[in-house]
Amino acid sequence: MEKRIDGEKSACSPADKQIDLSTVDQCARCGTCRAYCPVLEESGWESANARGRLMILQALEKGLPADSCVRDSLNTCTTCGICTENCPAGLNPPRLIEKGRRKLVLSGITGPEHETLASNIYQRGNTFGDPGDRLSWLRDRGLLREKAEYVYFAGCMNSYRYKETAARTFDLLRRFGVTMLPNEQCCGSPLLRTGFAAAGLMEENRRQIRQIGAHTVITGCAGCYTTLKNDYPPQFQVVSVAEFLDERISEMQKCKEQYTNQKMYQNINQNGAQNSSPVLNLRRLDLTVTYHDPCHLGRHNRIYDPPRRVIEAVCRLVEMKSSKKDARCCGGGGGVRAGYRELSLQMAKKRLLDVPEGVDYIVTSCPLCIRNLSDAGAGEKVIDLVDLVAKALLDDSNPNWPQRKKP
Amino acid sequence: MTSSIAMSDILEELKAIAGESRACSSLTERCCYAADASQIRGLPDYVVRPESAGQVSRIMHLCSQHLIPVTPRGAGTGLSGGCSPVRGGVALDLSGMNHILEIDIENQQVIVEPGLVAEKLNSALRPLGFFFPPDPGSLAMCTIGGMIANNSSGMRSVKYGTVRNYVLDLEVVLADGRVIHTGRKVLKSSAGYDLTRLFVGSEGTLGIITAAGLKVAPLPAERKLVLASFSEAEIAGRAVVAVFSRGITPSACEILDRTTLQVLRMCDSNLALPAEGDVLVFEVDGTAASTTETAEKIREACLPLAEEVRIASGKEEMEAIWAARRLVGAAISKLDPSKTRIYMGEDVGVPIKQIPALIKRVQQIAAKLDIPAMKYGHIGDGNLHVALFIDIRDDEQWQKLHRAAERIHRAALELGGTVSSEHGIGLARADLLPEQAGIEAFSVMQSIKKALDPLGILNPGKMGL
Repeated sequence: MEKRIDGEKSACSPADKQIDLSTVDQCARCGTCRAYCPVLEESGWESANARGRLMILQALEKGLPADSCVRDSLNTCTTCGICTENCPAGLNPPRLIEKGRRKLVLSGITGPEHETLASNIYQRGNTFGDPGDRLSWLRDRGLLREKAEYVYFAGCMNSYRYKETAARTFDLLRRFGVTMLPNEQCCGSPLLRTGFAAAGLMEENRRQIRQIGAHTVITGCAGCYTTLKNDYPPQFQVVSVAEFLDERISEMQKCKEQYTNQKMYQNINQNGAQNSSPVLNLRRLDLTVTYHDPCHLGRHNRIYDPPRRVIEAVCRLVEMKSSKKDARCCGGGGGVRAGYRELSLQMAKKRLLDVPEGVDYIVTSCPLCIRNLSDAGAGEKVIDLVDLVAKALLDDSNPNWPQRKKP
Repeated sequence: MTSSIAMSDILEELKAIAGESRACSSLTERCCYAADASQIRGLPDYVVRPESAGQVSRIMHLCSQHLIPVTPRGAGTGLSGGCSPVRGGVALDLSGMNHILEIDIENQQVIVEPGLVAEKLNSALRPLGFFFPPDPGSLAMCTIGGMIANNSSGMRSVKYGTVRNYVLDLEVVLADGRVIHTGRKVLKSSAGYDLTRLFVGSEGTLGIITAAGLKVAPLPAERKLVLASFSEAEIAGRAVVAVFSRGITPSACEILDRTTLQVLRMCDSNLALPAEGDVLVFEVDGTAASTTETAEKIREACLPLAEEVRIASGKEEMEAIWAARRLVGAAISKLDPSKTRIYMGEDVGVPIKQIPALIKRVQQIAAKLDIPAMKYGHIGDGNLHVALFIDIRDDEQWQKLHRAAERIHRAALELGGTVSSEHGIGLARADLLPEQAGIEAFSVMQSIKKALDPLGILNPGKMGL
């Protein structure tokens, strides 16, 4: 495939050049973050904790030479945000650390793995540098619509590594009139998290969203979600697949309650043509699962309950030892899996210790979490929320499923 | 500071002792070990993270041979510069020595390594129905070693006392590398000088604590809170005296002034704290019957002086109030993002009858210098935390801050009190120690220091020693 978007590494805005020290200076160095940082727990060095990293950012402003030690300190943060959640002074260390990373990249200080990652994205529009078709999992390109109100943004991981999940997600969503971008690019998350620029990619995705006329983008990746929602200009709504499914299931249940005559409901349900809205016809599964909160969906964006409601609609849910705002990070985010694989897997192994005994699956809503937890020993026991829903879907092969224009 | 041997050779020796990945001299890492939560800074030459008393012993032997200063450190949450390596040398990070070596519930004792975080000890003890009572605000992250070195305490010291009351035995590496024990595995002992108490609160100036035998206490069955608000802090001080005069010893007795309440509400808008005034929070613990009776007695004692009194017994509510209270010191930026809390003059203590006078003096000092102050603390044991907060980019405000801290310290001494109740002397208050202790008593401290650390390599510069 052709070289898509390049030359962004050095592009910077005036805001990139300076770290906002007024915020860094609010750190009282109380050390509360020491009680929570999963990286410090593995490393033990003060430079591997939010407080140390903020001290380094301050020192950089006062002349500390930026070198590989500074890089390793800043780049080992998973940006999980548990320090933000617990910081008494109200600081957001991951945001500050990302600014520091940007400064390092502009100074030419990057790790080889992050260089490769960035190069892959700039060259091929995906994190893997894969020259293949991003939509290779789509059995019929004719399913894409030229105009739609909703767009499913698959993301690099699902497009190239979890193609079945991407296909299942799209099969679910397209019933509701959802389409995809014809030439989706990486959302930019890996670049922004690791200090690189992503304006070109972001603009290309925005252009396609505008062209389709969509007001809402739906994504099943926590990294894509937080980037589309918080780093893109607010020109469209961003909804996670978990939220979207939750709303549809909730609508279905309300609809069900309206029909006091259960038989009447079943009749209507079995004959989709009579029903103006598509229905997710789900059966109960004899499964017990747990849910891993992806940091960028949970702590960063407060999406805790929708995935849980979806799970509970189809099977039993038992919580992990730490969950929601206190959930332990899988260790994969913030470029750590790419740059510091061993450290990343150590954190993932710790996360797996939180899994309750006897569960059939660890369900989550982020392909990067799936990858890391899987590699750390969970194997195929960790699955996407959509994969769980697909197991419960009674009508997944119904080609005549009615589609409505507006969910 | 070091002798003729090259610094790179010292680093190699440190690596040979602690392991290649546990000693370093990178400027980036050293920057992270230059300070605690105080304003005292000092760049170490090396950072070492030992894993055993044997390694600490070898490190001390090496450092004594080459006259290298050694500054021990736990989580670096101190407030007096105690772990800032102001003379360079080795920053000895003991946070990796964090194991519980033994839990001996039948003997009501535990043996732990110094880097163990206090909350982790309590998490292990809780299912057994026990706890380690000293509970500083930094409980979730501070280490037992740091608590012992500073004789720290916390909100429940009014009833349970300070760390000093719980240390039975210490394993200590001396300046030359020798290893001693200061006690036995007994709850009391009358055998020679009390070396255990000597090392408690010695701030790493006499030896490196590498293990501690601690007494633990049974968890009370019930706790209740009494929340009382007063029109003035001084009246709240009188209410504390009134409660104690009735023969009641609460398990905690905290004061929160108006500004503190504002900050607490910013931290957790659901906190059911009184809307107005200066607030006292009493905690009582014991059996269901005794806590009900004592809480009611406290309510009666406060009523004639208070604007409002309420008893809270919901576990979640009580935990939420304590959680917010523990971290309020660092939360001031939530109220005013342009300000940072600076720990200076923050830990004074006076005889409890003098608390109202101290509060009044602090208010006058802050008003005169036009510097905002949040006042909270363990009023039940006479310990008042004063939180001064400034725009740290404004030099004039820094000068005011220094003046305010000095006047607050002076006020405490004039009222017969101490410049530090639980945070320690470090370097931040070092110049005040001779005055507080008296010249002769201070000279005894100097003699002790010289006897145990003749080369002056253990945390040099601290406590004025």
